[in-house]
Amino acid sequence: MFRRRFLIQTAVMPAIAAVMTACGCRGKQVAHVLKEDDGDMVGSHTAGAETWKPLIEESVGKLLARQCPDIHPVSMSNDDGPAKKRVCFMGVENKSAEELGDSREQIYDLIDTLISESEQFQLVSKRYVDAGLKECDLRPDELFVPANQRMFGSAMEKMEQPINYLLFAKVTSLSTHSNGDSQRDYQLVLELVDTETGDYDKESATIRKGYHKSRLSKFKHY
Amino acid sequence: MGRTTARWFPRHTQFMLLLSLTFDHSPRPGQPSRMLWMAGCVIVAGLCGCASHVNRVVSIRNNFYAGHLEEARAQAQDMRDKHKADRDVFDLDRAMIELCAGHPKESERILRRVRDDFDLYEQKSAKEFAASLLTDDTKIAYEGEDHEKILVRTFLAISNLMHDGGDAEAYALQIGEKQQELAEKHLKKLEENTPDGEPAPEAPELPQVALGPYVRAMLSEESSLDTNEVVRAREMVVSYVPEFRDGARDLERAVGDTACAPDHGIIYLFTMVGRGPIKEESNDVPTQVSLLIADQIISAVGEQTLPPTIAPVKVAKVVQPPNRINSVSASIDGDQMGTTATLVDVGKLAEAHYYSRYHEVLAMAVARRTIKKAAVYLAKEKVQAQSNPFADFALTVGGIAWEASEAADTRGWSLLPEKIQVLRMEVPVGTRTLKLQAADSQGPFGAPEIVSIEVQEQRNTYVLANLPDDHVVGQVLVSSQYTE
Repeated sequence: MFRRRFLIQTAVMPAIAAVMTACGCRGKQVAHVLKEDDGDMVGSHTAGAETWKPLIEESVGKLLARQCPDIHPVSMSNDDGPAKKRVCFMGVENKSAEELGDSREQIYDLIDTLISESEQFQLVSKRYVDAGLKECDLRPDELFVPANQRMFGSAMEKMEQPINYLLFAKVTSLSTHSNGDSQRDYQLVLELVDTETGDYDKESATIRKGYHKSRLSKFKHY
Repeated sequence: MGRTTARWFPRHTQFMLLLSLTFDHSPRPGQPSRMLWMAGCVIVAGLCGCASHVNRVVSIRNNFYAGHLEEARAQAQDMRDKHKADRDVFDLDRAMIELCAGHPKESERILRRVRDDFDLYEQKSAKEFAASLLTDDTKIAYEGEDHEKILVRTFLAISNLMHDGGDAEAYALQIGEKQQELAEKHLKKLEENTPDGEPAPEAPELPQVALGPYVRAMLSEESSLDTNEVVRAREMVVSYVPEFRDGARDLERAVGDTACAPDHGIIYLFTMVGRGPIKEESNDVPTQVSLLIADQIISAVGEQTLPPTIAPVKVAKVVQPPNRINSVSASIDGDQMGTTATLVDVGKLAEAHYYSRYHEVLAMAVARRTIKKAAVYLAKEKVQAQSNPFADFALTVGGIAWEASEAADTRGWSLLPEKIQVLRMEVPVGTRTLKLQAADSQGPFGAPEIVSIEVQEQRNTYVLANLPDDHVVGQVLVSSQYTE
């Protein structure tokens, strides 16, 4: 009896488990269009729409709000209102522990769109920015050197795209690990540099995310 | 030591041959066990695997090393379609093919998906575990060996550098994160596998991949914004790989104020040198530690302990084939610039990581054997084989065939190089001609490869070449010349 029980436990039980589970069906991929009020899916391994969208909205919103009283246009473009300040968005620098991959362009466009919708600013097209950088043989991070900035400014003017501000976006992260689980704080920093005075304004937004191997481990931490 | 086994027929063909030679198929009235063993044949045949992975990739490897990238790509794609469960492991090879064919963006895309799959498969599936106990380890979704998990991130960083570089720093950080995570996991397992009351053995020193800090240092040095970061990263490279020839010199430069000279730019030459490690099937005798782990596995599915066994079991072993090539000799406009130095010894990394968990591989094979034997004895008891010689014989032979059908898990990244080497060259701006040639201890040999590079002032230009033996496979990639 003892031997039989051993045999059953060691051989038959895994066999039954294997056969039962093997009988399941393979999943079939489906897709659906999200409604306006549907929430964003939460990325299980990396940041996605649920992280970047609110980060962008918050940081851009804060930056625009702070800039609003400081804008004193010196000229009137037409009767409709003050001339918009021309901003040159230099792109998104990734200093986080996650690759941005195809999100980079989307982040760029979201920032671009939000700023363009504002009353105070008007963004210079990315194509002109790229052309200007290429002509001056410069990288965005080299524009903090005044001589480079001047060179870039005059190159943009030559293309009839004068600029008043440079906008830099940087993504950073802070990772905390605990027994297989982790917390990652994502920060988006926006820096607006006045090309005439060199003054700059900085705004940031942070979102914290927890990554867990299972629901149970999530429960353990939160 | 283990013995490598040769195989001429696919595994299921061997098994069916064995059955047909063993059994008499003529109908016998009143033979109730016939249906039983026929059903058994069907089940066991269904559970049997086919040719092992290492045999499947022979042709891909041959074409790749011969420089026939189109053929290698088509074969890897074909294999991926045929063996969908193992698509990730074929994708690793596809990524290498794409990288060498001059498509770093595609390579990065593939590697990113494999990395995410490997992370997912780190969570064990009870279904796959049960199936692997009845068949072999190939039934478990391939989560990648530890060294492959690190190298996926390493090649992600390299691929990204070659087309855009915007995410290279993130990948470089991921290399470090993964290494740390694996080291912690390894330590935890060691403690778990130590019997109660005994002190846990010290974790073996595993080689560290220094490409992460090397990339970070390289990028920070170029931007000249954070010199402390450059020094920190260069120090890390030296501490990770003290034998790295250029480590001390790089650190000295970072500490001192010797930035790139005016009217000069930097070329970082990355080379993939030699044919990398592969897994081969072998028969090995279980070790004491592996028996202990196997005992824990058996105890987890039942209340019994493992019967002692010293019979060899089939397992995979990591083997580093010998290579003539040592390094790559580089010259600019006819001036000798030196040879590349090893930053990542992939062969040693693979062996060290694999053998650090080799006891577990052996343990699974031992546990599986015990379970299979137990299943055969149970079947014999059910059909009362002691009074039925035919059933006894049939089940004995079936049991042997079942065990023989087991395949060692030889899945692995088969197109890895033996070494990843680097050479930093400071050269005057302008269009330069770079000549690359394989080198051994006697000096350069093989076919030279010449590329033209546009060097920009105070800028880094990254060059990547793959030399598995005496010639470059595919294209020499130059970051500044990449176009989609």
